[in-house]
Amino acid sequence: MQIASDAPATFRSSARRPGTLELLSTAFREVMSRRRLIRYLVGAEIKKKGTDTVLGNVWWILDPLMSLMVYVFVMTIVFARKQEDFAVFLLAAMIPFKWFTQTLSDSVSAVVSQGQLIKQIQFPKIVLPIVVNGAGLVNLAFGFGVLFAVVLLWPGFADHLSYMILFVPLIAVIQFVLMLGLSMFVAALTVFYRDIGIIIGHVLRLLFYVAPILWTFESATGRGDLLRQELGEVGFSLLRYNPVAVLLEAYRTCIYGVTKGESWAPASPADLGWESLAIVLLISVVLLVLGTIVFKRLEPAFAKVL
Amino acid sequence: MAQGTAVQPVSYEDTDPELSGRPQVPDDDAAPALQVQDLGVQYNLRFTRKTKLRTSFANMLHREKGDRRFWALRGASFTVRRGESVGVIGPNGAGKSTLLLVLAGIITPSEGVVEVDGHISTLLSLAAGFDQDLSGLDNIALAGALMGIPHETMVRITPEIIEFADIGPFIDAPLKTYSSGMRARLGFAIATAVDPDILLLDEVLQTGDEVFREKSRQRIISILTAAKAVVLVTHDMTWVTEFCTRAILIEDGRVTMDGAPEDVVRTHREHSAARRAARREAIERMRRGEIPIDTAATRRLEGPRKGKSGSQT
Repeated sequence: MQIASDAPATFRSSARRPGTLELLSTAFREVMSRRRLIRYLVGAEIKKKGTDTVLGNVWWILDPLMSLMVYVFVMTIVFARKQEDFAVFLLAAMIPFKWFTQTLSDSVSAVVSQGQLIKQIQFPKIVLPIVVNGAGLVNLAFGFGVLFAVVLLWPGFADHLSYMILFVPLIAVIQFVLMLGLSMFVAALTVFYRDIGIIIGHVLRLLFYVAPILWTFESATGRGDLLRQELGEVGFSLLRYNPVAVLLEAYRTCIYGVTKGESWAPASPADLGWESLAIVLLISVVLLVLGTIVFKRLEPAFAKVL
Repeated sequence: MAQGTAVQPVSYEDTDPELSGRPQVPDDDAAPALQVQDLGVQYNLRFTRKTKLRTSFANMLHREKGDRRFWALRGASFTVRRGESVGVIGPNGAGKSTLLLVLAGIITPSEGVVEVDGHISTLLSLAAGFDQDLSGLDNIALAGALMGIPHETMVRITPEIIEFADIGPFIDAPLKTYSSGMRARLGFAIATAVDPDILLLDEVLQTGDEVFREKSRQRIISILTAAKAVVLVTHDMTWVTEFCTRAILIEDGRVTMDGAPEDVVRTHREHSAARRAARREAIERMRRGEIPIDTAATRRLEGPRKGKSGSQT
């Protein structure tokens, strides 16, 4: 009785270093042949998440709700922010940003935390950052669930709903590609330089404030003109057209609408920065390809270093 | 292995005569399962050491201070045929575990070639298991997913694994609550239930009790009679003479002997005794002040240091 397996039945390992194209095709083949492993690991990841808490899976919903309440309180009461329907304004950017930070900080430990596994059994390590991104999708699904529940149930918020939300999945796909590429770099390099985890933490915190989450570029009360004066053209462009800012503004246009001072107006497809989104997609694809190459290059050393 | 688990000889009189006794040595023309040629594995300690603030600045200033690379294994060549059971023996840190890691494809060679023909199943460490937070049952499924075995097959063989592992209600408890014997049984049950062509075992058998020992012996013999190969690393010489059709001695990263288990074990014992005598002699001379005190040598005599970073062995 021979048991079938997704793993190759014969292999040859030698000191030869494969070329770049070969690395990419191997990576692609590994991911395609081990989809079941990825699905299983994502499931295990989600299963583990709630097990140590009393409320368990309720946290998937409670967590975004509570952070929403914290920020709405801080911004509307403490900072006296007068944005109309601030909860929608905030959630539209905060939910995708939480997805971003969660996935990136999980990527730091994606390979490092699996040291024992890597030293025990041969499997394509490239599935590990992919699993982190897969588990992140569940996070996003619950976040958007909360977002749309709030928009539908809170009196007056439903006005923000329009056919524009049909563009949200498209923006999410671009963000997914971007994160997957970054995950490859982060997961592989952390094996050799644990310092990366600490740096990522600070970069993400900085990003939370410099990305348009609590504020926006467009409105008259927003920071746009002020920032342009403060930072100059180059600094402003970096802030305005970095991939995260472009994506977050796009989400907000689709979910909240166009910000007009403290008020808002329904958006149309023309309000989305299509050109910037296309550039972000291009950057993301390039990052994914480079990240995969770097990951595959470093992969043989993982078991020796961990 | 540091404590040298004492194993009493067992009598196998009431076991099935078909399966008792030493496995048969296969013919010379049996197909090779593993082919190793000029294999070398080099480790670079640059990324495995613990860095202190002072040393990290020092490293930044002059990068190439001392060569931090060493060969854990070099110039190894041998073939394992189907139906063969090869015992790998040698002193601590000689490169035995490194050899198994390369054979399993977990680390890639720094030089030379390993050719593997057949599905490999490994049981390389008992300290770990797969996922400490998941239950034994989930770990069986995880192992199956990692080895790429279809879900239906895993469902079919899971009862068999549970029965062999014999860990009762613990099968639903997280792996972190398991004793080392339970881990050994579960790990061995999983590694062998998937019907591998090549089974690699690293010091995992001596944890079990008599019953488990006999059960695993039967299983290894039935794997061998199905013309599959087994490579096991052990410090338990009885295992080598009982289980193996051949033995390989590794010393200082080199294959120094390859032959019949009894001969290799005898040579290993002689070499170990000689090394011990030499060290004792050296310590004695240090004590008398004839040669300068070498702390490394005394440490070796007092017992092997189990590296936390796990970078060598």
